[in-house]
Amino acid sequence: MAIQGDEQTILRDPALFYWILFPISIVMILTGILRHYATVLMNSTPKSPSTLAESRERLALLRGVNLRNNACSVLDRESFEIRKNYMVTGFRNGSFLKDPNNRGQPPANPMTDPAGMEAMMGMLKGNMMMMIPQTLIMSWINAFFSGFVILKLPFPLTIRFKSMLQSGVMTRDLDVQWVSSLSWYFLNLMGLQSVFGFILGSDNSANQMAQQMGMANPAAMVNPLQPGQDPDKLYLNEAENLEVMEHFCILDGVEERILQNFAPAGI
Amino acid sequence: MAGPVANIHEISGSDLISALHLAQQAPAILGQQSGSGTISNSSDTADYYARLEQLMLACLRTGDDQSAHTCLNRLSLRFGPSNERIMGLRGLYEEATAKDQLALEKCLQEYDNTLSQSPVNVPILKRRAALLRSLKRPSDAISSLIQLLDAIPTDAEAWCELADLYQSQGLGSQAIFSLEEALLIAPNSWNIHSRLGELLYICASDGDASRLLGRSVQHFSRSIELCDDYLRGCYGLTLASTRMLDNDYAGVSGQLPKKTLERLKAFALLKLGEIVESRSVDDQHWASSRSELIAAKELLNRQLK
Repeated sequence: MAIQGDEQTILRDPALFYWILFPISIVMILTGILRHYATVLMNSTPKSPSTLAESRERLALLRGVNLRNNACSVLDRESFEIRKNYMVTGFRNGSFLKDPNNRGQPPANPMTDPAGMEAMMGMLKGNMMMMIPQTLIMSWINAFFSGFVILKLPFPLTIRFKSMLQSGVMTRDLDVQWVSSLSWYFLNLMGLQSVFGFILGSDNSANQMAQQMGMANPAAMVNPLQPGQDPDKLYLNEAENLEVMEHFCILDGVEERILQNFAPAGI
Repeated sequence: MAGPVANIHEISGSDLISALHLAQQAPAILGQQSGSGTISNSSDTADYYARLEQLMLACLRTGDDQSAHTCLNRLSLRFGPSNERIMGLRGLYEEATAKDQLALEKCLQEYDNTLSQSPVNVPILKRRAALLRSLKRPSDAISSLIQLLDAIPTDAEAWCELADLYQSQGLGSQAIFSLEEALLIAPNSWNIHSRLGELLYICASDGDASRLLGRSVQHFSRSIELCDDYLRGCYGLTLASTRMLDNDYAGVSGQLPKKTLERLKAFALLKLGEIVESRSVDDQHWASSRSELIAAKELLNRQLK
């Protein structure tokens, strides 16, 4: 057993620093940047609705949510009731649906639905972008650098960190302060976010152009419906939410409020 | 050159004077790029293109069609002519430079063609409604806006435009409904609150007057609560509360007591006086809203007599 308080010393070749620690860090940063640009390149813009009915199907839900969230700051009781009844009936009847005749049928298989297929491809691409470089780099490190102790942390740590800092080094007695090459890879994987933020700007900077192009088209920007989700179910849910809503209005008593808050005492 | 470019953000869309100032700087702003030939990487930001779009609109308003065309070309060079927003801007340019009624009709034809290919092209849908309005076909404009809003009910701009159209046709309650919808999307916009107050004030002439006026006072108050030196809000609050007091609506079923209304009126007048005073000093800065300021001064004089 290692004696507590007694400093372990391991004689390390300084070349370890230049040939392992340094390359791993550089490679991690470069793959991060590469991945970022590859994602930008392969990023497909969300598909805008192709017909007016499709757009209505998507946005009717948002309208319901808007009504639920903002009614209290705009509407008096009467106009709120009218709108609530309209929305609830619409949701219940399915009159906002793209094709009301298909209502109640099971949703189309996402595998055969081209829109769903596209969304799944997008997800797949994103996952691949994460998986492939990670697998490659990890096997590269495993093949070349496994078992090296390359770094000593300048502060003591508890024994719990051993599995985190010394993966690939099966030495029971080694002090936790020592870091193996494989662990250095993991630390880089998790901890380089801020470095990327520094190099690439904030995370979404690369998507800014796409955002601007979509800006004028609110119908394309938001799609509250995930592929494969049945809008009818969401509608019924929203209708229920609207039904249980208690009406109150912040316009009631606004006159006294502004007199109290803004008017000088004399008035 | 940094000066003029930095100031562009302060320009509001509906203000002719600052649009003119901006349009006068067009050669300077556009000239920056032409020297280097290609668009340099540093200027390829969303900010730059937003500025270009604004510059184009300002140039069109002030008759500098040449510069507007340059702006449009740069934008379509970057985003491609099939981008929906660029299509909208191009349509706007064509409309603005159209010589006669016939050319406008041709624009309409073109919009219809575009829409038959891609029915959910929002900028073109909006342009079409605006064009119908400027062709003096308001009922067609209304129906085309309703069609747009049926598909895209979360577009506050379109609801506001619809309200304006309804009001121009004398359909008060429909206009109020449309503005309420717009407010449901943007509940904290004090200008729409005050606009709704104005509409309610205008509509309050028939049997329901006391209720509508009461709501008008509420919306004006809300707009002041959200932005406490909003001139239009104060102006409207003064007018609405005066009218309620004059017609003795105070205290009628669920309305405010007379004392509160009097205090409201006094408060609005005081606020109005403060705003007028502070803006008269800094005349140049508020040049765009000078007409509002004059109206406010006039109201103050009338009330104080």
